[in-house]
Amino acid sequence: MFLTRSEYDRGVNTFSPEGRLFQVEYAIEAIKLGSTTVGVRTNEGVVLAVEKRVQSPLLESSSIEKIMEIDTHLGCAMSGLTADARMMIDHARVTAQNHAFTYDERIKVESVTQAVCDLALRFGESVHDEEALMSRPFGVALLIAGIDELGPQLYHTDPSGTFMRYEAKAIGSGSEAAQSELQDKWYRRMSLLEAQKLTLRVLKQVMEEKLDHHNVQLAQVTPEKGFEILDEVRLKEIIDAM
Amino acid sequence: MSSFNPYTQNGGTILAIAGADFSVVAGDTRQSEGYNIQTRYAPKVFRLTDRAVLAVNGFAADGNMFVKKVKQRLEWYRHAHAKDMPLRSIARLIQTMLYSRRFFPYYVYNILGGIEEDGSGAVYSFDPVGSYERETCRAAGPAQSLLQPFLDNQIYFKNQQPAPGMSHPTHLPLQAVLALVIDSFTSATERHIEVGDGLEMYIILGKGRGLQGLEGVKGVQELTISEDGERIFVVRRELKKD
Amino acid sequence: MDHFPTNWGRPRNDMFDAYGTYPIHQRPDNRPKDTFADSVQRTQQPIVTGTSVLAIKFKDGIMMAADNLASYGSLARFKDVQRLHPVGRYTVIGAGGDMSDFQHIQHILEEVQIAESTQQDGHELGPVEIHEYMSQVMYARRSKLDPLWNSLLIGGFKDGKRFLSYVDLLGTTYSASTLATGFGAYIAQPLLRKAVEGHEDDLTAEQAQNILEYCMRVLFYRDARSLDKYQIATITAEGVNISGSLKLQTSWDFAENIRGYGAQTQ
Repeated sequence: MFLTRSEYDRGVNTFSPEGRLFQVEYAIEAIKLGSTTVGVRTNEGVVLAVEKRVQSPLLESSSIEKIMEIDTHLGCAMSGLTADARMMIDHARVTAQNHAFTYDERIKVESVTQAVCDLALRFGESVHDEEALMSRPFGVALLIAGIDELGPQLYHTDPSGTFMRYEAKAIGSGSEAAQSELQDKWYRRMSLLEAQKLTLRVLKQVMEEKLDHHNVQLAQVTPEKGFEILDEVRLKEIIDAM
Repeated sequence: MSSFNPYTQNGGTILAIAGADFSVVAGDTRQSEGYNIQTRYAPKVFRLTDRAVLAVNGFAADGNMFVKKVKQRLEWYRHAHAKDMPLRSIARLIQTMLYSRRFFPYYVYNILGGIEEDGSGAVYSFDPVGSYERETCRAAGPAQSLLQPFLDNQIYFKNQQPAPGMSHPTHLPLQAVLALVIDSFTSATERHIEVGDGLEMYIILGKGRGLQGLEGVKGVQELTISEDGERIFVVRRELKKD
Repeated sequence: MDHFPTNWGRPRNDMFDAYGTYPIHQRPDNRPKDTFADSVQRTQQPIVTGTSVLAIKFKDGIMMAADNLASYGSLARFKDVQRLHPVGRYTVIGAGGDMSDFQHIQHILEEVQIAESTQQDGHELGPVEIHEYMSQVMYARRSKLDPLWNSLLIGGFKDGKRFLSYVDLLGTTYSASTLATGFGAYIAQPLLRKAVEGHEDDLTAEQAQNILEYCMRVLFYRDARSLDKYQIATITAEGVNISGSLKLQTSWDFAENIRGYGAQTQ
């Protein structure tokens, strides 16, 4: 795809003659180097699973934070340049709290996703009424999972600022294989437990190392308990049951 | 030399009562300043949505501007979140809007009435800097001291013993509420110089409630716009002009 | 110099140094302040002022009246001032209060009209828009604690509809079929209401003119800051017409028959 590098790909804000913003497209490429992340939506809730990618046995695996809470009813998983995601998640958290404070209600999943995507194009030079936040696009994609009055929802965001709703989505290095596996195995009336097993199975297939409760992390959002990251004990149970 | 006073009092009185599945918000239509009647018809009660009505009383210029700003925020919310603001969210929004002017307040006593998300009738009352509370009934304005005690007795049954073996109803039917509102205003008109000329009552009915209580009421005008289910009506009556 | 005998012989209050007798240490400066001393102006007082403006709805449109006087305190300074101003083809704005602020208002309305006409989209500003615009301007200025010190009546006729409304230095607005500002609210308004309320759709132009003239006469008798020279603006489907100056016929010879009036000794 990028064998023909042209002189239009250096300027962050320059369109190519074919109408492409190369820097944004290259940012999307960066996500393909990231660790695999999978999300699956069911009527009972949404499941998120990440490959932690522990590079060394001396690495404290519990310090790897690739799934984060946004609000009690919202969470997200990331893939790519995860440092970029901290800014987006902080913005999402502030937006969610401001909304709850001002309107005495939980923010809709789509609304918080839109708020995050509003940051995506704030790169390059500042304009009169808007400050640029950064010199380059974000190099991270997010899977945002949450529950609101429309039920459980899963959204995918990317550096172009586009978001789309998915029933099941995989991102990161193993995403191609993972996505086709999801397409094969996902069905509408899946239970939460089945979704957990599916996401782990998909990760197991694409991960290089052997999957165990130290090198993956699982999280879910349900109407009863909201967003929670599963602890080691529960995770081990589910892995053993597979 | 005395400095410019940016406030004045424009008289009038407002009142709202919540039923089990309806709400009534009323206000007289007189606008005065000191001993002058500025006009016999200046509305103080406004339809925000099919299920929310806002009455404003105090300094009319602030009141009218505040209603405009609330309506604007409601529209922006509809565009951002693809839904109408629930009543308790409107109440919280009013608080934040009022408090943002804590050091140059809107000199307005607000009463918000309508149907809550769970279908119940609701009344929220506010002070000029945003302190608020949900209540069954509230009067505000110059004749508050005449009306509120009457309502405490007739609606909350304060200082009244029920018949032996019976208990007071928690909510009154629409017909009884309308009668109490009309009697409140005719009485206030008798004894308070700033109350009179005309009465405007807004009636908001919950979804699927039907029109019981409105039969036989003269001059009922429907203002409902959407097909969502709640219905809103206005009734006008004359009050003494002296 | 303190002219009030009741203050003579009283103990001096050093905390209120009315004559600025500096450099006595630790005294506050309570001399009257010059409002124009800082280059920033906040609150004000009106200087050259106009008195009442009256307006009514009648069968064919709106009629508005105001005298030709701009007072400088108690001095009847300018006796040929026009306090009724046409705005476009459909509206008249009448002002009481500070006349320099009214001249500023006339200027900004001119600018607004130019901006609208350059759009060339076929829309023209009518009385409803002018009133809404002025309400926002007046309220915004009061919210900066720097008001335009006026009471305005805005009347007009457009698209078959009559319009009559009020806006003042606080941003207060109201509408009725009879309106009067200033002294007129006390003296003329009851007379206008009696004559007009209920008859807005039957009142002829002649009847409307008569009631306004009557009220202007009563005002000249009773308002110490009024003049017997005035104008009437009529706005109908035919457009805006502001009359030339009209003279009020008044009779002051009643004073001769009343003991104690004027220069009578007994």
